[in-house]
Amino acid sequence: MKSVILGLSFAVATSLAACVACSGERDASPPPATRVADPSEVIDQDLMIALAQAKNFHHKSKVYMTDGNLTAATASVRQVLSLHFPTGAPEADDVRNDARALLAKLLMSQGQLDEAMRTIDEGLAPSQRESFFVANLYTVQGEIHEARASAFDATGEAGKTSGIDERRAAISSYDRSIQINERLQKKLLEER
Amino acid sequence: MATQDDDNVARIPDPDVEPSPAELAHARRFAELVDKTLSGRTPPAMSADDRALLEVATVIRATHGAVELAASKQRAAVEDALRQAIGASPAGGGSVTPIARARTRMRRAPWIVAGTTTLVAAAAIAMLWLRTPGGAGRGNPVARRAVPEEWTSRPADSLVGPIARDHAGDAGARIDAIFADRLDGFRTRRLARKGKP
Repeated sequence: MKSVILGLSFAVATSLAACVACSGERDASPPPATRVADPSEVIDQDLMIALAQAKNFHHKSKVYMTDGNLTAATASVRQVLSLHFPTGAPEADDVRNDARALLAKLLMSQGQLDEAMRTIDEGLAPSQRESFFVANLYTVQGEIHEARASAFDATGEAGKTSGIDERRAAISSYDRSIQINERLQKKLLEER
Repeated sequence: MATQDDDNVARIPDPDVEPSPAELAHARRFAELVDKTLSGRTPPAMSADDRALLEVATVIRATHGAVELAASKQRAAVEDALRQAIGASPAGGGSVTPIARARTRMRRAPWIVAGTTTLVAAAAIAMLWLRTPGGAGRGNPVARRAVPEEWTSRPADSLVGPIARDHAGDAGARIDAIFADRLDGFRTRRLARKGKP
């Protein structure tokens, strides 16, 4: 029993001392010149492939839009949302949010306002980082509210109250977009 | 010729005789002396008679079991006796470590070592924690400073800037800009690393 306790204690102490020594060596080494970059933080091949695919889907969508095939254009933009990006890559959120904004506008142009709003909400719900792309989602959300207000106005007196509510919601969405843009611009100016 | 013993015997009173006031006073004074001695306040000077009587009183008290040696002194005495029994020289002056105490130390040794190593381990963990305040990886500024910023995966806000309402649907143009920028960083990194991924 004694020898087991002694052995375990020495093993723990030795391994931890080695850990501390290793961390000391790591900190002492010159960081930029010789350090091998962590694969999770640099631009790697997986990220470039995902970005290239997103770029191609957008170009494809543009061709469909030129042809007036909005359904195919919408399907092409949807494919951007299902691309596999490296875990934790900030570009993934940005590209997906931008695709959602375009997708919502395409759906709006096809009169699918509820589907457009759902697309925006699905993008805003998981976003934990404020970005110009998130602000753009709020802008498109405001446009959808405006489109809904116009639709209610077209129904006459019955939709008047709902139209007013939608316009208020549109203002609220635009305000949020403006606030995010202001905060980010201020932050970027401070970083320069 | 009369001796001192004869004088003492002559001075011994009869047991049935009532004590005289002088005897009572002497007895009270001696009782006080014994009390002081037992409480560790032995007077520095006393008569030879009193000293002799005091030693007798101490012996009588010890033989009745009223006085016990301290446990350490008892062990030391036993150790000395055992050492003498096996032919070793007795240790003097209480500097001997009794066998029992040594055994106690041996019994405690693993726990002392375990406690010390646990403290060392806790200190090492604390050092590691303090030296690496956050995890390395994507998004960690400490880690990101180690490589040029243009090599890193990062938000595209500074590249794209605020998106005007008129350009809200220009995702195709923005993805082109993002792709070109990241491709530039990717190529520079690969060239710097001589083609290694």
